[in-house]
Order: sequence, then C-alpha cells, then structure tokens
Amino acid sequence: MTWLTRRFLAPAAAVGAASTLIGTAQAQTPDARAALAAASVIEEVKRRNTLRVGMATFVPWAFRNRAGELIGYEIDVGTRLAQDMGVRVEFVPTAWDGIIPALLAGRFDAIIGGMTITPPRNLSANFTASYSASGVDLAASKRLADGMTTREAWNRPNVTISGRRGTSAIAAAQRLFPRATIRQFDDDAQSVLEVVNGRAHGMVGSMPRPRFAVLDNAETLFSPFSEPLARQLDSMALRKGDPDALNFLDNWIQSRQLDGWLAERQAYWFGAREWRDQVPG
Amino acid sequence: MAEGVARPGGPYARGARRLGALDALLLAAVLGGLGFLAWRAGVALAYRWDFAPVLGFVLRHDAERGWVANLLLQGLFTTLRVAFWAGIVAALVGTLAGIARASRGLFPRLLAGAYVETIRNVPPLVFIFVFYFFVTAQLIPALGIEDVIRNAGPDTRTAIAWLFGPPEQAAGVIAAILCLGLFEGAYVAEIVRGGIQSLPRGQAEAGAALGLTRAKILRLVILPQAIARVVPPLAGQAISLVKDSSIVSLISIQDLAFLGSEVAATTGRVFETWLVVAAFYFVVCALLSAFAARLERRFAQRA
Repeated sequence: MTWLTRRFLAPAAAVGAASTLIGTAQAQTPDARAALAAASVIEEVKRRNTLRVGMATFVPWAFRNRAGELIGYEIDVGTRLAQDMGVRVEFVPTAWDGIIPALLAGRFDAIIGGMTITPPRNLSANFTASYSASGVDLAASKRLADGMTTREAWNRPNVTISGRRGTSAIAAAQRLFPRATIRQFDDDAQSVLEVVNGRAHGMVGSMPRPRFAVLDNAETLFSPFSEPLARQLDSMALRKGDPDALNFLDNWIQSRQLDGWLAERQAYWFGAREWRDQVPG
Repeated sequence: MAEGVARPGGPYARGARRLGALDALLLAAVLGGLGFLAWRAGVALAYRWDFAPVLGFVLRHDAERGWVANLLLQGLFTTLRVAFWAGIVAALVGTLAGIARASRGLFPRLLAGAYVETIRNVPPLVFIFVFYFFVTAQLIPALGIEDVIRNAGPDTRTAIAWLFGPPEQAAGVIAAILCLGLFEGAYVAEIVRGGIQSLPRGQAEAGAALGLTRAKILRLVILPQAIARVVPPLAGQAISLVKDSSIVSLISIQDLAFLGSEVAATTGRVFETWLVVAAFYFVVCALLSAFAARLERRFAQRA
C-alpha cells in the first residue's frame, strides 16, 4: 500500500517541486543579484575592515628587512590597494606551491604575489588585469656553462637547470629545454646555491632575480642571454565567481598604471637595488 | 639481569664515569672525522660562510626597545606553542583511544582502532594536507573563530597572543594544533595500549576481587602502573612531536621551519640558516630528553 502511494505521489511531487523552482528563480532574479554583490569579497573586506593578502617570499617581490618586516614590490602594491580601499592590510605568508589551494580555502582574499597567469592556474582561480610584466631569465655557472649562449646549447640531456618549484619559470624551462634535466627547489636561494656550488649549469627565475644572483656572485655566475627566455604577465588572483571584486581590482590597476605609480614602484624594486641597505647580508 | 641495564633512568643513569684509553681514542677519531667534514665543507665547497645576516634574524637591536626577538626566535616561540598544545591534545586523545583499544567492548575498540590505523598508515605530509584543506579549512570559518578573535577586546587579544601567538594568525595555529595533536595522538594511543596490556591480568582481577568498579580499577590500579611503564616511549614521542611540528610549515604556519625558509630566501644564506634552525631544534629536544630522563628516574624510584 505504501509502495503504491509513493509511486503515485512521486510524479506529482516532482511536478510541484519543479514549478516552485521555476517560480522562485523568476522571483529571485533581483535578489540573486543583490546576494551575489553581497557575497563579493569586496563586501567582506569592508565588513572586516581588513584586506588579507596571500604572498610568498620572492626577492624582490616580497621579502624581509633587517627588522623582519615584509618589504618588496608586492607589499607596496597590497599596502597601497588597502589604503585606497580605506581598510587595513594583513599579509599572509604562504608556501608558494600551496598558495592557490590556500586561496580557495579562504585563508586570504587575494593573491598579490607576482603570480604569472597560466592556463592551469586560470582554470582554478580568476586573474585581474596585469599589474606588472616580467620575463623568465637564466643565470649560468661560469665554470660549467662557459660559452653556452644559445638556446640549443641549453637543450641537451647533460645540462642541469635548477629553479623554484611551482613557478612559471620552471614551466618555461620545461617547455624551452625539454631535453635538459630540471631540478626543483623550494626557494630561489637554494636554486642559486646549486649553480654557485657547481651542481647545476644554470638557474631559471622570474626577472630580475637571476640578474641579482649574478650581481651577488659575480665571480662564479654570468647572464648568458640578453633577451628574456619568455615574457609573462603578473596578476592578482581571486576566487572564482566574484565579478565585483574583479571589476574593482581591474580598475584600480588601470588607475595606478595611468598615474605612473606602478611603474615608479617597479623601477625602485626591480632596478638598481636602492633598497639593498634595508636587508642584511 | 646486568646491573647497567636494569639501572633506573636507562642510559642517562648516574653511574660511575671513567674515561678509559679506548674512550679517548674513539673521541679523537670522532672529532677528527667531524673536523675533516668541516674542512671539506669550507675548502672543497668553495663556500663563503657568513652567519652574520642569519644571526641578525635571531635577535636584533632596536633603537627604542633594546634587543628584540627577530623572525627565527619568533618562529621558535610558535613551534613551542604549537608543540605544547598539540602535546596536550595528543595526550588526551591518545590516552582515551589507548584505553578504548584495550577495552572489552567491541565498539570502542573498533572506533579507536579505525582512528589509529587510519593515521598510522597515512604519511604525515599527506595527512596534514588532507586534514587541513578538507577539515579545518571548512570547520574554522564555519565556527567563526577568526571573526571572534578579530572582534575580541584588547585583554582577550593579549591572552590569545600569549597562548597562540599573533591574533591574526591564531585561527591557523589552532587548526595546525588540531592536525598535529590528532596525528601524534594515534601513536600515543598505541603506547598507552601497550602499557595497559603489559600489566599482568592478576592486577585487574585483584581489583575486581576487592570489589572495585571497572572505572576505579582503571583509575586506581591499571593506569598508574601503565603510565609509569610507558614513560620512556612517551618521552620519545614528545621529542618526536617537537620535530614533527615542522610539518605545519607546509600549511604556512609561521613556525621555525617556515620562517627559516623565509630567512634563507631573503638572505640567500641557505646553509647557515638551516644550521641555525637545526641548532634550535636540537637544543629544545635535548632539554626535553634531559627532562624525560629525570622523570624516568623518579618513576623508577617510586615503582
């Protein structure tokens, strides 16, 4: 008996449920828009009065001064962005290879960490317009890589290239030098050390890091290429489904590009290292 | 049994210490080997050792506040906080699960068994990623801990800063404490179970013959003897926990290992940074070892 009732009732219930669904969907269109706007991370930042920025240590994008405080290009960008929004800023140092999962898990509102747009990354997070253009460069060992100034010379099985795990520079090296051995490390300092100690022919990294490595180790390293190996665009990353935040950040970046602030900060951090007396060593 | 083996306090027991000719020879050989390694590291590696920038990140002189802890010491404090609280979580969860594992009921045995076996058979790295991103990343925002901390009064924030470190990072630290505590708890459970099951049956039977309830037998007869027996492995687990706490750096907790990698990246002095970090871990663990040896001697005297 119960079986019978259920059988007869089920289609009726389904029709009923469907009509309610359609009805509510129509009725909720303006509400849904309001709900979407209210769910934007922009609203959350305003409510919390704090912008939480995810970043990882990369010299000179984000690193530490003598007092242990964060400094660098990304730190300036995050601080200025928060200032323009009228909120406080909180930086959340995060391991680079886990930074997108941490963004998706809600540990911070946006990644402002010199992240290069790549298709796999873009499939899991949204990217704003680019706020700095950079390139992939290579610093080479004078002893091991003497005269290796062509791309062909680097694309050989007996060539070892080091780099930082999960970076676009590693991806570029794998694409450009498929036959070389690529060794991945957790930070740039380790991959520079590998070349200085003669265990790798060269290290790849985002510009200007390889050039700084050459300046710091002038007797052991040199720059084999005058042109970047690959060009790339750096953007802020956001969780998906947030058009309001994307719109706000895009326009903020455009304004700061127009008034020259971003270019001036890039010249300071990526240029002649006027900031060197702030860091130890 | 030979006197040296049975001596309470194990290898740290205070016995006669005489330096014989063989000991001197061995000592010279070890020092020579270490010296050779250091010489190789200095000469063959062609590495310019420079500890100054790294030591600046341990302590720094501030014009107003005098000497203040810099990144590496702050990281050490975070490591100690995480290890301390995780140790308490592990002791509680582990003791309960250990008792359940040794109990007569099928349900507690299965429940604790599932917990222990799940954690023991998953690598710590995988466990911490899975637990952190799937469990605590959902749980902590759902409980609103972050907002509670942010909106807390100044006194509460000071208290939080003492207990869990900088308030803005406290939610992450609490999540890490849960991860690490539950992970280590599984090993504590096995140690406790081993201690309980090592006692002769007659102990529980004697308790029952005296008319004690099962809870009283556990509390008054079994546990005091079992815990005294498992002090050495528990101490080993506590030292392990301090070292294992470095895996929370993978979920970006600002502990000694994480800030060590930040300092290495900033200064470019990779070897120096990790040697200093290793020295910090060594000192903490050696102190724990010494404390455990004292504890062991005391329990041995009482038994």
